[in-house]
Amino acid sequence: MSTMQPILSVLFAVVATAVPWGLPADATFILPLVVVMMVFCWRALPGATLSALAAMLLGLLTDIVSGGPLGFWALLTLIGASAGGYAKDFGAGPEVVTLWLFWACLAPGLALLGWLLASAYFLRWVDWWPIAVGAAASVVLFPVVVKGLRWIERGSFALGARANYRGRA
Amino acid sequence: MRGARSPFRPRPSRWRGPVELLSFTLYFLCAVLLVLSRIGHGLLVNVRDDFVDLSAPLLEAASMPAILGRHALEHARSYAGAFAEIDRLKAENEELKQWEWRAKSLENKVEHLRLLLNAVDEPALHYVTGSVIADARGPFLRSALINLGRDNGVRIGYAVINGDGLIGRTVDAGASVARVLLLNDLNSRIPVLVGPAGVRALASGDNSAELRLDFLPDGAKLYPGDEVYTSGSDGVLPRGLHVGVVSGSPGAYRVRPHAELSSLDAVSVLFFDTPTLTTTDPPVLPDPRALSAAPEATPAVAAAPSPTAAQTPAVASPPSATDQTPAVAAAPPPAPEQTLTIASPPPPIVSSEVAPVETVKQTVGGSEGTASVEAQTQQ
Repeated sequence: MSTMQPILSVLFAVVATAVPWGLPADATFILPLVVVMMVFCWRALPGATLSALAAMLLGLLTDIVSGGPLGFWALLTLIGASAGGYAKDFGAGPEVVTLWLFWACLAPGLALLGWLLASAYFLRWVDWWPIAVGAAASVVLFPVVVKGLRWIERGSFALGARANYRGRA
Repeated sequence: MRGARSPFRPRPSRWRGPVELLSFTLYFLCAVLLVLSRIGHGLLVNVRDDFVDLSAPLLEAASMPAILGRHALEHARSYAGAFAEIDRLKAENEELKQWEWRAKSLENKVEHLRLLLNAVDEPALHYVTGSVIADARGPFLRSALINLGRDNGVRIGYAVINGDGLIGRTVDAGASVARVLLLNDLNSRIPVLVGPAGVRALASGDNSAELRLDFLPDGAKLYPGDEVYTSGSDGVLPRGLHVGVVSGSPGAYRVRPHAELSSLDAVSVLFFDTPTLTTTDPPVLPDPRALSAAPEATPAVAAAPSPTAAQTPAVASPPSATDQTPAVAAAPPPAPEQTLTIASPPPPIVSSEVAPVETVKQTVGGSEGTASVEAQTQQ
């Protein structure tokens, strides 16, 4: 697989976060979290390569197109990348369910950190509800995103039961 | 977990040391960026503006499918409920006829009084119309990128409206794009007047769909449905722009914006210069005209607003105790003989030879209700 594939796919997601979809105010956190989730997956899946530096730059790009403070999404993306690397080290990559559980544990932590960071940045408690909705939605969307990433890598939605990379781990 | 290796044992790597060092450096860099962003470092702001300018065409192209999809969905919905909509419009038309008669009567009265008082005409408000090319969502901002920038005369602090009412103000302006801070953003504070009595308050965004009403005077009597409009006391926004209506209950009044802030499309930027703005964001072009002036137009084409242009801008006159204007922000296009304070462009003059107009520059007459329209095509 080309090393550019992960970067281009996440770049596509970053641009998608800036598109005016007309989402309600409570759903504003979902798309940037999908970017973090994709970085996590690309770092965790066996055979995929996405450096931490590239992950941070993609997060920085999310900050720029979203108009938020520089460094916020870069930090969360970097954490996602680090967590993905550890998930790969622990052997969670080949199994969709294991990876999904890993993300299900990580997403609330990311949401909590994001909420605290946002509150510290503005010196007030920002609304936690959209962040919680985003985290929950990202957990629900996880298998779909993994499926999409697998399609990007393999070029097809080959059915592989629960295994993500059967025979390659 | 298959294989002989324990899944919980990290794999050995010769590069772990340098990689961890790199990770630490990157985390540190993120923290530094956050701090610099918090203190508003000028270099970061400039770099971001330049980058947004560069990426604007890409964002615009990426937004097109979403915008077209939304339009298609809206059309499908409107077709589905066409008969109910016709009935509703008939009823509304009957009601509006009564309002038209009342408005004409009041206009005549106002004109007569203005003549008696030898009142000076209010300066015209110029505006330019573009479209939203990107949304900025997240825990920090409710903002939007529009395809209008300094090249179009847009500067920081200008009010941005659409056909429904005020939607926000510009906070960044690049060469070809500008960032609009929406009303419901956490950092948005708009001084407003509420209701027929004109109670002063501050409409503050809190990232939710509605705005808070702060600093209401003690004993202020508000009612749900009261109109909220800008007071202009901040010296940045013009007076009388429709913001929304009061909702909620005593002690927790909110403002429900007229504009649907989550699905914006065509918007207009009002050129309203005040000493406050000229101090903070000096104009690029010399501004020989008075209170508000549009920049020099590039080859102007006599054309009407394009189909993508905003509806009639919601510039409203501040209501008095006897003036119960309807809660509709956008007024119907006035006939030449009308002297509405609410001004709107004249009927469209569409030329088939004119290329699709992306940006429309217009001049809204002040109290005279006259309007001149000039359009400029942009690439």
